[in-house]
Amino acid sequence: MATHEIFMPALSSTMTEGKIVEWLKKPGDKVERGESVLVVESDKADMDVESFNEGFLAAVLMPAGGTAPVGETIGLIVETEAEIAEAAAKTPAAPAAAATPAAVAAAAPPVSAPPTPAPVAVPAPVAVAAPAPVASGRVVASPRAKKLASQHGVALDSLRGSGPHGRIQAEDVERALGLTVAVPRVAEGSGAAVVVAAGANGAAAAPAPAGEAFGRPGESVAFNTLQGAVNRNMVASLAVPCFRVGYTITTTKLDALYKQVKPKGVTMTALLAKAVGVALARHPQVNAATSADGSAMSFPAAVNVAVAVAMEDGGLITPVLANADKTDIYSMARTWADLVARARSKQLQPEEYSTGTFTLSNLGMFGVDRFDAILPPGTGAILAVAASRPTVVAGKDGSMRVANQMQVNLTCDHRTIYGAHAAAFLKDLAQLIETNPESLAL
Amino acid sequence: MGPKLDAILFEAAQPVPFERAWAAQRSLQQRLLAHPEGPEAVLLLEHEPCYTLGRGASEAFLRFDPRRPPLPLHRIDRGGEVTHHAPGQLVLYPVLNLQRHGADLHHYLRELEQVVIDLLAGLDLQGERIAGLTGVWLEGRKVAAIGVGARRWISQHGLALNVDGDLAGFAAVVPCGLSDRPVGRLVDWRPELTSQGLRQPLLGAFARRFGLDLRPPNPQEGLQGW
Repeated sequence: MATHEIFMPALSSTMTEGKIVEWLKKPGDKVERGESVLVVESDKADMDVESFNEGFLAAVLMPAGGTAPVGETIGLIVETEAEIAEAAAKTPAAPAAAATPAAVAAAAPPVSAPPTPAPVAVPAPVAVAAPAPVASGRVVASPRAKKLASQHGVALDSLRGSGPHGRIQAEDVERALGLTVAVPRVAEGSGAAVVVAAGANGAAAAPAPAGEAFGRPGESVAFNTLQGAVNRNMVASLAVPCFRVGYTITTTKLDALYKQVKPKGVTMTALLAKAVGVALARHPQVNAATSADGSAMSFPAAVNVAVAVAMEDGGLITPVLANADKTDIYSMARTWADLVARARSKQLQPEEYSTGTFTLSNLGMFGVDRFDAILPPGTGAILAVAASRPTVVAGKDGSMRVANQMQVNLTCDHRTIYGAHAAAFLKDLAQLIETNPESLAL
Repeated sequence: MGPKLDAILFEAAQPVPFERAWAAQRSLQQRLLAHPEGPEAVLLLEHEPCYTLGRGASEAFLRFDPRRPPLPLHRIDRGGEVTHHAPGQLVLYPVLNLQRHGADLHHYLRELEQVVIDLLAGLDLQGERIAGLTGVWLEGRKVAAIGVGARRWISQHGLALNVDGDLAGFAAVVPCGLSDRPVGRLVDWRPELTSQGLRQPLLGAFARRFGLDLRPPNPQEGLQGW
């Protein structure tokens, strides 16, 4: 039995994710070789994705309307009708396109590992075999992928890379070998990213713990470089006199705006970063920081909003949305997608994660209702953003209504930012989000 | 720059109903799918008034009942939201094998924008891109809309440039789904322009940008009903 995966194709070297506009086939439908199976959209371009194999569409792993990173498996094709039920049964239910929790930018939807042993040697190529480097025919692969490939005698040029620009990643080699695939994922938030692991044969896999752990019971595991760097920063924050101020913000209008701009690829992260950027431009004191020697207040030339992103193998990184007050949300969303994709493949340049003047940490996608954050060194404040949820709100006149509300919590360095500064900033941010979020889209 | 690529130009002097131009593109696309090494093609025309929706377009951007449209309404196989076509708007539909042009759909969209920007530069107008909003803009007004579709890297659909047509039809929709961005036409900057007069300059800018040698079809390359 052979199962062929359909991947999200790279329609462009600058494409990090694509939207599925339409499945032209339903699960169970016969698919001819070369027949269009689905339509993918990126920017204002559509591409029909064709099947390279004759068979049956066994499963749709990402429904129409959903967005998937380039290289992700989005559907399965099997060779015979008899295999459909088997392949479908091993496939987790497709996530509903609309199931993103309100008001938060959900991390990429769960990635499913191939439900059947991938055919050894060559995984089914995508119909649109774009990512092969066009000009030179040179194979681009990560160092780990090269090492794995040479250890197992896999020809790299027979593989399709799922990384940026079609780069071959270690997991592409593992997939080709039919090995256990742990798909690395980055969550937008400082919470632990989820790792979806699957045994090569479902039954053989040990029951996975629900939470992520970097080691097994009884082990002691050294911090990796990134974790070590985060540790130093966190310990350094103990020398900073911090205080925290909370605020509840009604997001009903922001949620409505998000619905409107989401089809254009704008994420909640981009919207929040933009709102925070605009508010910071009006409150330069909250964008300021105590100088390294503690003798002065430094006022940065720009408003650069860093957003905390957890790394799958431990540690976190804070890619920076530069000039967040002045950049439009569409550019910002694209920049963010690019930063996250490159953070995932560890290709960020230092200035792309170390030049933040203010940090945003969002755990909303996990349903967290409140938390506080530790101040990164060199900055004056960090905002912790929790989930937005429908809440019964009492009016001053005794009336009651239901509105979406989220709690935010600002951690500040009291040497530079005082309670009144923090309060004024939060009040202004709340007002922007509650009454005039449309201005963010201008 | 390498040798120029052979490309067939199909030009229509009179406004064309949308279906006819779409059928022509599909048949040219089929030819290239069957013979990927064959000549590329481009259609230059103006449309009879109509609206078109991209495959994933939202009907929320229509200011009329889609079951009773004021003009013919077509849902077509391109990306993007709703747009409006009418005489006075030059429409360019390249049917290219994009494998010869970089195999990169975003790059292709940027090149189509550049064709219009090059053309406008020749008129001493500064066309602009707005990041995230595909199309060409003049002083905040959108003068060229762009939307493409492809199959096995063979393109169809393309760009529509408002020259001297009536823009009233745009009022019944939210063009490209952007409520706060007005549509413009070149004649409001350069009153002497006509869509007729701009045809050759547009073809010239297009042929230069994509390295094409445009020629009329041979007898055996004719399109049925064209």
